[in-house]
Amino acid sequence: MKPKKIWLKTILYAGIIMLMIGLAIPTGAATIKIGSLNDMTGATSDVGKDFALGIAEAIHYINDTGGINGKKIKLYQFDYGYRIPEALTKYSLFKRLKCAAILGWGTGDTEALAPTVARDKIPYVSASYSGHLCNPEKTPYNLFFSTDYSTQARGLITAWYDKKWPNKPDYGKRKPRIALCYMFASPYSSSSIKAAKDHAKMLGFEMGPQQDVSLFAIDTKSQILALKEFKPDVLLLTNTVMSVAAVLRDAYALGLKTDKLLLNWGFDENLPKLAGKAAEGVIGCAPWAFFGQNVPLMDKVVEYAKKYNPGIPLEKRTIHTVQGWANALGLAEALRRADKAGDLSGEGILKYGFETMRDYDFGLGVAPATFTATDHRSQSEARIYEYKNGKFTLLDSIDLKKRWPEKWANEWLGW
Amino acid sequence: MKKKLTIILSFIIILAVLLAGCAAMMTKPTARNFQAPIVTLDSMEVEHFWGWWYYSNKVKPTMGKAGNYGAPLDLAFIFNVENPNPFPVELESLKFTVAFEEFDLNTVSSIETQWIPPGKTNQIRVHAMFDGRQSLLSLLVTGGFKLKEKTGAAGAGAALKQLGKWWKAAPEYGFPIYVKEGAAVFKADSLVKVAMFSATFP
Repeated sequence: MKPKKIWLKTILYAGIIMLMIGLAIPTGAATIKIGSLNDMTGATSDVGKDFALGIAEAIHYINDTGGINGKKIKLYQFDYGYRIPEALTKYSLFKRLKCAAILGWGTGDTEALAPTVARDKIPYVSASYSGHLCNPEKTPYNLFFSTDYSTQARGLITAWYDKKWPNKPDYGKRKPRIALCYMFASPYSSSSIKAAKDHAKMLGFEMGPQQDVSLFAIDTKSQILALKEFKPDVLLLTNTVMSVAAVLRDAYALGLKTDKLLLNWGFDENLPKLAGKAAEGVIGCAPWAFFGQNVPLMDKVVEYAKKYNPGIPLEKRTIHTVQGWANALGLAEALRRADKAGDLSGEGILKYGFETMRDYDFGLGVAPATFTATDHRSQSEARIYEYKNGKFTLLDSIDLKKRWPEKWANEWLGW
Repeated sequence: MKKKLTIILSFIIILAVLLAGCAAMMTKPTARNFQAPIVTLDSMEVEHFWGWWYYSNKVKPTMGKAGNYGAPLDLAFIFNVENPNPFPVELESLKFTVAFEEFDLNTVSSIETQWIPPGKTNQIRVHAMFDGRQSLLSLLVTGGFKLKEKTGAAGAGAALKQLGKWWKAAPEYGFPIYVKEGAAVFKADSLVKVAMFSATFP
């Protein structure tokens, strides 16, 4: 063999070996694509931003701890500014990207997309906790990890009736009086009103005149003056934080002495900042622990908040971060179960993922979750907190299913 | 026999040279030597401008549906991303909040990845679209109390007036725009570093 040929052969062999080495290097594990629609710009951006941060941080945590049985999640997170046409546009993008599931946001996008996700069989895990999304016959692919608004309202009224009413001077002498304050035209604010009225009637309350309070309100004096005539023992407020703070401030200033019950979107760490002294003693439903509270997995929530968003002081982080984690962790568990069953289709994620969960507990102060093929109310327990002396303290925990099993099973699903 | 020896020897030499070359070229990232890249705002541009207008749903459009529509404002933020490491790093994502004066109006993110060579500086352009209607709702729902403190007035009229001032002044950089709470996620092998950044423009 001539030396030239020897050299050529040597280079060829070396090339083949280098190529083999190159091929042996892993080119990246399989991924599961997840879409996330968030509001970081629009009407709900004050709470939407923190929720969106929580989603992204939770996905980092899920990937760092083994992903979905070894598969990483690739998150496509977009701000849709609470514009419904943009939510529909982004949904089309998620479909084109072949996302296995979507983490959605509010009432607007969730309701606009509910028929489409049912037709396309794409699980849509959102932060709209309306009771009418819990009936799988109507909205089979809408899911969430929270106590629904109707169950929250029923739990709040029950907790007040059990814990506060017996201490009032008129207890046993007359019926307790309740009034409702909310924005009549808002689908979110009004979604639990029917259940609240039904529950108040069941427990023997006298119902006062309802007050229409805009989500944009910062002056609610006329509504408070109207309420003063009725003298309610308790007020149920189903608006979001700023408008709730306006009612609390005006009630305090005008001397309306009544207890206040709040749904989750009106009850967060920003409320005392906006309402000041008027926030003292308010009672609210919080289906998750407040940011930083001592519950399982909160250490990771705080650690990932510090790691991935070090520019945001921890004092500015809220319960909405924890909410984001809850939906992301719940979805991840459903994906793991479906993946184990070998079916990561939308139908598989629903059937072998969500609907196999029985009292699934992932920490974060969230009540154990159960989904069945006929009932998507993931939690029957309403965790009720009181804001007292600058702290959110657990006041009561009402399990509606245990207390009224017949009504829970046969009457209350889907509204 | 001599030929075989020559083949083996030359093969070993080539392989050694190749491996040594690779090793010399690449310092391996470790938790100790991986420094967070530096992100700075290079400039801000009004990328597209439509002036200021707002139509409520009471106005009948020439075509299409009546609705509440406000002028969009498209700003572009250009960042320098400097990699001080002796190995390439991957920018995985970048996000930040934009505030007009003291009002947070937008949180923007970019999920397109890019590699930054060792010791080099890349640039990244991130668009932030402000929609007059969404900005109005944001001011009303989340900034109502603050707006009242600033302007002495509240409600939709006060919020629209404030938005009009910003929109009209934007092309002249007539008010401070803040980049806040910036976080850029970088990866080198399996290591992660997050760089914080903030800026004011102009």
